[in-house]
Amino acid sequence: MLSVSHLRKEFDGTVAVADVSFEVRRGEVFGLLGPNGAGKTTTIRAILNILQPDSGTILYDGKPFSEAVRNAVGYLPEERGLYKKSKLLDTILYFGALRGLSRTKARGEALRWLKRLNMMEHVQHKVEELSKGNQQKIQFITAVLHDPPLIILDEPFSGLDPINQELLKDIFLELKQAEKAVIFSTHQMDQAEKLSDEICLINHGKVVVAGALRDVKRRYGSNALALEFQGDGAFLETIAGVRKAILYGNSAELQLEASANLRDLIALVNERVELRKVEIREPSLQAIFLEAVGAALPAGQEARA
Amino acid sequence: MNKILVVARWEFMEKVKSKLFLIGLFVTPVIILAVSFLPAVFVTQEDKSSKVVGIIDESGQVAPEFARKLESEYHLSNGQPNYIVRIISEGSLDSSVAAATQLVVRDEIEGFCVVTKNPAGDTLAAEYRSKSVGDVVLSSRAEQTLREVVTQVRASQLGLTAGAVKTLLSKFDFSISKLSKEGEKEEGDFMKIFFKVLIFMMMMFFLIATSGQILVRSVIEEKSNRIVEILVSSCSPTELMSGKVLGLSALGLTQLAFWALIGLSVAFQSGHSVILPSEGLLLVLYFILGYLFYAAIFIGAGSPLNTEQEAQQINTYLILLLVLPVMLATPAMKDPGALWLRVLCYIPFFTPTVMALRISIQMPSAWEILATSLLMVAAVWVAMVVAGRIFRIGILSTGKTPRLKDIVQWVRTG
Repeated sequence: MLSVSHLRKEFDGTVAVADVSFEVRRGEVFGLLGPNGAGKTTTIRAILNILQPDSGTILYDGKPFSEAVRNAVGYLPEERGLYKKSKLLDTILYFGALRGLSRTKARGEALRWLKRLNMMEHVQHKVEELSKGNQQKIQFITAVLHDPPLIILDEPFSGLDPINQELLKDIFLELKQAEKAVIFSTHQMDQAEKLSDEICLINHGKVVVAGALRDVKRRYGSNALALEFQGDGAFLETIAGVRKAILYGNSAELQLEASANLRDLIALVNERVELRKVEIREPSLQAIFLEAVGAALPAGQEARA
Repeated sequence: MNKILVVARWEFMEKVKSKLFLIGLFVTPVIILAVSFLPAVFVTQEDKSSKVVGIIDESGQVAPEFARKLESEYHLSNGQPNYIVRIISEGSLDSSVAAATQLVVRDEIEGFCVVTKNPAGDTLAAEYRSKSVGDVVLSSRAEQTLREVVTQVRASQLGLTAGAVKTLLSKFDFSISKLSKEGEKEEGDFMKIFFKVLIFMMMMFFLIATSGQILVRSVIEEKSNRIVEILVSSCSPTELMSGKVLGLSALGLTQLAFWALIGLSVAFQSGHSVILPSEGLLLVLYFILGYLFYAAIFIGAGSPLNTEQEAQQINTYLILLLVLPVMLATPAMKDPGALWLRVLCYIPFFTPTVMALRISIQMPSAWEILATSLLMVAAVWVAMVVAGRIFRIGILSTGKTPRLKDIVQWVRTG
């Protein structure tokens, strides 16, 4: 569906995107990850033809950008904005018409989506009367209203309560089943981990980690140890056999050296804190993210993708 | 093309429902009429009670006759004399003036006339002094009466009979009429033309200024909430800009049509034909061209901005450009063929307003109309292209406001 190769873009001598390549296929949820300033928004804007790359090519179904592509893309920007004074149905119809939908078709689709997102009671309201979460749902509708084969969602989950997050996840699955290509970015790594088929992690304008999620995890090895405990876990970073430790309050994820002896290690940990759960598993996307980006962020503060 | 219409429809429908537009629709004509007519209404308002006017007469020849004439000529609506004249004589001229000044200060008299002789004693000079010299009615009536009296005195000195003097001084009316191209006499004197010109120019000014502000505001709103990203991923920046200009022009024309309807019905009611059809068509033509030109300017100047405050500053400068021709109205009426006026017609910033001015006063020649409208079409085209180049980059630039140097670069590379 979408093929980005060797994308490069500079602004006044600052390299925003140095060299980014990836492919997104139909029926696939693609996680575009990376810390703040990694070049993610620039990449998305280039895909949307909002700005022209300095070099590199972007192909849509093997063809370069044309006016027809505009109607084949749906976009939810990271910064939420709508016309505050306008009625929400009018707003949805406007964006639908801009993507080439006829008024009657747009109206039918808008009502279907409003129903799907439990928004029917607000149909006659103005945008400014809606809560932030509801405004975001309106924006989501404008991204999918015209049934585009390529959907780009920038931070779709931020600002939604857990109920609406679940609703959106269900819709993700539906879009996937409908053979859409969905690109989304998020700074919630657990979200990316649950939803992505493919990921592409960029940092400083370059691809750091890319591929199918399970391949990526396999590449990073399966010798990770997830612990839940009671006590002070600070010592975990220093014990022998631990390559890297990510500490949370009452839990930790340890990445082990290949040579580490699991039995000794657990015994050692058990002496210092009261263990409640021990699990050997693949490294989490969070761990992969932190390792790949190379900057250990303080526990609790999530990296922005 | 289709998407241009989509944008235009949206811009029109949303703005036409906005309070700002509705207020402008009804309030602007009221403001224009108030500014144009209120001063005249106040000036010509009749007095409610008699006013006392002083006179100091160094010649000793005019005061009694002046008093008689002024008191008998003008009356209040209740039949009482409008003016009561008080002859002030305190020995020397200086002490009389000082005494009269005191009377004015104490509000005992409205003002006073001083009639002085020159040293040779053969000519007279008069002066009117008052706290409110703006009372044009009183000062002009005093002047008129004084002139008549002086003429009368001189005429009788020359030995004319009272009857001959009366004939000499009998009033005659003087009025001004405007001839159209075909030599037909048109209704309307100086004041009528003046107000017509003023009203038209102020309408143009209000329309362009408010539309420009609406345009800049909507662009800045879309920039700050990033709707613009959705917009330019849905249609090209050129389509977006064209749609906005089109929608806003429709809005402006709606407003103009509404005002014209009010104006024409008022004119019809009062039985005046204010504007000839040919004149009206030309005015609309220049109006549309000027509107589009300034729309481009507002877009070009507004799209690189990020905040309302910055927009306000830019608006102020642009509005100054628009106000200038309004100030030219009076000198232009004195000499509609002046060279400087003809030159101004070829500066696109002023072409529409100055041409409108000239058309209302004295129809310019056909080739001038053709040349200036062609020039204006070209200017609109250039302005739109330049604005489009700025717009394309400007709407996506956030954070630091770009410098002029950057903007010139955008225009060049476009």
